[in-house]
Amino acid sequence: MSSEVNDRIAEDTRPSGEGGDRAQYAVCAFLALLGTAVIVDALGIPHITSGTDPVGPRVVPMILGVLLMVVAVAYAVDVARGGRGEPEAGEDVDLSQGSDWRTVLLLIGAFVVNAVLIERLGWVISGTLLFWGTAFALGNRHYVRNLLIAVTLSLVTFYAFAIGLGVNLPAGVLQGIL
Amino acid sequence: MDNLNNLLQGFADVVAPMNLLLALIGVVIGTAVGVLPGIGPAMTVALLLPVTYGMEPVQAFIMFAGIFYGGMYGGSTTSILLNTPGESSSVVTAIEGNKMAKAGRAAQALATAAIGSFVAGTIGTLLLVLVTPFVVDFAVSLGAPDYFALMLLSFIAVTSVLGSSRIRGFVSLLLGLTIGLVGIDSVSGQQRLSLGIPQLADGIDVVVVAVGIFAVGEALWVAAHLRRKPAEVIPVGRPWMGRKDWKRSWKPWLRGTAFGFPFGALPAGGAEIPTFLSYATEKRLTKHPEEFGKGAIEGVAGPEAANNASAAGTLVPMLAIGLPTNATAAVMLAAFQSYGIQPGPLLFDREASLVWVLIASLFVGNLLLLLLNLPLAPAWAKLLQIPRPYLYAGILFFASMGAYAVNAQPLDLFLLLTLGLLGFAMRRFGLPVLPLIVGVILGPRAELQGRRSLQLSGGELSGLLGGPVSYIVYTVVVLVLVWPLVRRFVVRPLRERSA
Amino acid sequence: MTVLVGYVPSPEGEAALRAGIDEARLRDEKLLVVNTSRGDALMDTRFAQEPDLAHVREDLAALGVDFEIRQVLGGRDAAEEIVDLAELPDVSLVVIGLRRRSAVGKLIMGSAAQQILMGVNCPILAVKTAS
Repeated sequence: MSSEVNDRIAEDTRPSGEGGDRAQYAVCAFLALLGTAVIVDALGIPHITSGTDPVGPRVVPMILGVLLMVVAVAYAVDVARGGRGEPEAGEDVDLSQGSDWRTVLLLIGAFVVNAVLIERLGWVISGTLLFWGTAFALGNRHYVRNLLIAVTLSLVTFYAFAIGLGVNLPAGVLQGIL
Repeated sequence: MDNLNNLLQGFADVVAPMNLLLALIGVVIGTAVGVLPGIGPAMTVALLLPVTYGMEPVQAFIMFAGIFYGGMYGGSTTSILLNTPGESSSVVTAIEGNKMAKAGRAAQALATAAIGSFVAGTIGTLLLVLVTPFVVDFAVSLGAPDYFALMLLSFIAVTSVLGSSRIRGFVSLLLGLTIGLVGIDSVSGQQRLSLGIPQLADGIDVVVVAVGIFAVGEALWVAAHLRRKPAEVIPVGRPWMGRKDWKRSWKPWLRGTAFGFPFGALPAGGAEIPTFLSYATEKRLTKHPEEFGKGAIEGVAGPEAANNASAAGTLVPMLAIGLPTNATAAVMLAAFQSYGIQPGPLLFDREASLVWVLIASLFVGNLLLLLLNLPLAPAWAKLLQIPRPYLYAGILFFASMGAYAVNAQPLDLFLLLTLGLLGFAMRRFGLPVLPLIVGVILGPRAELQGRRSLQLSGGELSGLLGGPVSYIVYTVVVLVLVWPLVRRFVVRPLRERSA
Repeated sequence: MTVLVGYVPSPEGEAALRAGIDEARLRDEKLLVVNTSRGDALMDTRFAQEPDLAHVREDLAALGVDFEIRQVLGGRDAAEEIVDLAELPDVSLVVIGLRRRSAVGKLIMGSAAQQILMGVNCPILAVKTAS
């Protein structure tokens, strides 16, 4: 009786083609590595216990590390048996084609530029670069218009948040001018 | 009647002109951001967190109440006008809502969604006022072992009940717990997983995690799979309903509310199950079965009310016990924590005025939402024309600003990017994000309560078994864990034998 | 030879289409109906959806005009696409619709019509809506 509903779910989560998804083993490897790292880190923590804290700071990370390893193995077993997670669908997402890595790398680039420059040049400049760069990465080619939008957005957010509301945003090289 | 006085005092605070303006701003930007394609309520709240940084907690929460309901409402507009719902909770609304819109009844679909949301939100908030004090009384009586058990139940519930794959849920949870581990151990003062980086000693801010996973991860994921063909969008007029529509809507609104609120209040209940239940119920009870599947107004009214009532319901465990049951509540909890406020039973003693202002603002925000959305629906629909490069550039811009503003350190931006890439990978491999956020928020507190329990017993594991509450909770945990095995080895063979 | 018309589902676009049909019949040429979208927004009112196209097809078939409809989803502006298509060797005339823009609007958004007027080498017929 609710077949309509079920149809829709089936449609939304249909696998995008080919059978086994071997890249999932990379996730298992990552989990195993993370588990190892957590355990190694835990071993470096001095084992301090006291009357008020009979457990100490080491036990929980140890348990977590072991669980990560266990889950890595269980995940690998699941993948070997053909299990796969469905990539997330959405309003703006088209899963029928492969991933567009160029866009993602450009976005990461714009992001890193902002992170490196934010304290030196200040939010107004680094934020402008971030917005302009990400719009470019996403395929917009109206360079001048984008620059105007980016500058306006950075200035407005700086004045509204940093000066108006006292949020921490650096003025950078424009200190004293803004 | 103490609570009533508190609530009235809360209303008195909210209706001060400045605060009313903040509530209005909250509702407007909450709805606007919620309408934008690809931005769900959780991301809306996460992105807008920094907007409130410079404010007094009271003002911030007045605004948050507006953002919370505005974001919830914004999503449903999109799912009616487009056939591509943003969140799983709007899937059901889209079924009949989009059909109605295609049949030229977009105005009625939007109206029943808006008014239904108002009715459900108001009743839900009223129930919140009535139920929460009892939950608080109950929660005050709980000891550390009970809390530990409840948090364990939360972990198990978000990984096992929701989502299709338990193993993937656990992966996500463990990643969240690991992130939550970073920083100085609050009991012993020892650094854990801080890799010798001094800024990491304070731990990774929950806000940075939420913005990274929800906003940056989503933006990167969408950027890698941009849909090119414009969707068919139905032109909107001003929402309105005729007498017949009212007659067909009011019962579904009330039934939807009855489904939504309790599910919202349960750990891992969420909005998904009640919206489906409401849809199924309306389909069974309707006098117009022939319209279902072709645009029945009951199929919009019920699920939309259920959705909003469940949003109110999630606030009960969030405020009274400090347990987030869905992603939006998790981000709201992060917002509380960024003000140094710890939700839980003591909240109602220590920050009573703040809580009641928040609740009063929920009422006011809900009303503003109705007044605003009926005339403004066509304007909201225009937001769908924003070119994606600007939309996602804007998301990354505000995400970076918010993450930097938390601690004013560039390291947070690199953390944000790393978490964004983690969010990207999780979307690629179909790992649910909710368990991660719940793990980050509840992990450190669960550890604290667990260690406190063992302190009382001198390290004996029996200390984890407190009063009757913990027994009950552990029983539920075991049942949830064992259920799939039972189903595989007991129920299925039985059914096959009888078949 | 071919008459190229830039089509948008709007009064201007319809006016251009009418003028294009008249020209194509007058010259006894083929009509190439072009509709484009950058495809970068979830919703683009200038992108002709199936119902719009169906009515265009119906009209053209009823009038007995030899026609082709081409939809381009390129990530580029409509003006650029039309300038490119006008380079096709057999295009004899380009028909576009004009809409009123304020001076500020032109400054910020640029004018697609102007870009086409400057970029296209063959004759151009620019029409306004009836009002």
